[in-house]
Amino acid sequence: MARHDSPGDWAQRILPALPHLWSVDLSCESQNVLDDLQLLKAAESDVAAFDLVMERFEAPVFRFVRSLVRTQEDAEDVLQQTFLAIWDALQKNAGPSQKGQKSAKSWVFTIARHAAYRKGRRRVGEPGEYAALPQEGLAALGAAAGWGTEDDPETLFAQLESQKEMQRSLALLPDEYQEVLMLRDVEELSASETADVLGLSVSAVKSKLHRARLKLSAIVRREGES
Amino acid sequence: MTKERNVGGLRCGEVLAGLSDYLDGEMSQDLRANVDVHLAGCTLCERFGGEMGALVASVRKHKEALPQSIKDRLRLRLLAAREPAN
Repeated sequence: MARHDSPGDWAQRILPALPHLWSVDLSCESQNVLDDLQLLKAAESDVAAFDLVMERFEAPVFRFVRSLVRTQEDAEDVLQQTFLAIWDALQKNAGPSQKGQKSAKSWVFTIARHAAYRKGRRRVGEPGEYAALPQEGLAALGAAAGWGTEDDPETLFAQLESQKEMQRSLALLPDEYQEVLMLRDVEELSASETADVLGLSVSAVKSKLHRARLKLSAIVRREGES
Repeated sequence: MTKERNVGGLRCGEVLAGLSDYLDGEMSQDLRANVDVHLAGCTLCERFGGEMGALVASVRKHKEALPQSIKDRLRLRLLAAREPAN
């Protein structure tokens, strides 16, 4: 087998449809953390700045809470509750800066998550909801995800091309996997920011994210076969 | 896995365990170099790593825009909340 010079070469060969895969950075769509904090600070006294806060966070918050509640209507209600809570906090000078938080994203998504769990009549960290997942062995998870098989990857890639299929597959993930995947991979929070939102350690976030990706791969494969 | 290999000083299971760190660029340079050697010599891990990379890239693209109607209703709700303070 030819020796590859870099991961980029590997991606070029195996993923011709996604030539820039390895240049994808988790922070590529992230706005400057300081800018977000400054924006929230400005929104304490400036309505126009609050409008910018909404523009900045409304779509990410909606996507995230939509993955946590049952219906589109519930997600819209949670979205509104989230921004009402943000407005109230900023009016009381209780924004992330006053709370000593380093990330505006963590602050916003934590509020959104609590609002979603209230809507879903679940409490954050509630036993039974959050501790229910069996700790499958990584090898078993990997095997279900296609590790060690010689399938044609084109089949999987074709499945991934459809946003509708992706959305359906994401919805089939257990809740705790959906949360970490939405925050880390879709909304591109850092591991540290995600840990703050979920109340987990950074290493727990990384472990959960890895399992979530394997599980999603298994779901995509299974759905593609059915 | 049909038969785990030891390539580049790493077993396939170790590569599987570290795959997300590798994809996210959160692996030490030394370990990353070993994984690169493993991937160059193990077609099964190389194939699976490519699939996982494609999966992550696809999930990252999954950013639906918010419908205008939802945006409008959000602003109306916030406007109503702001009024008493104004």
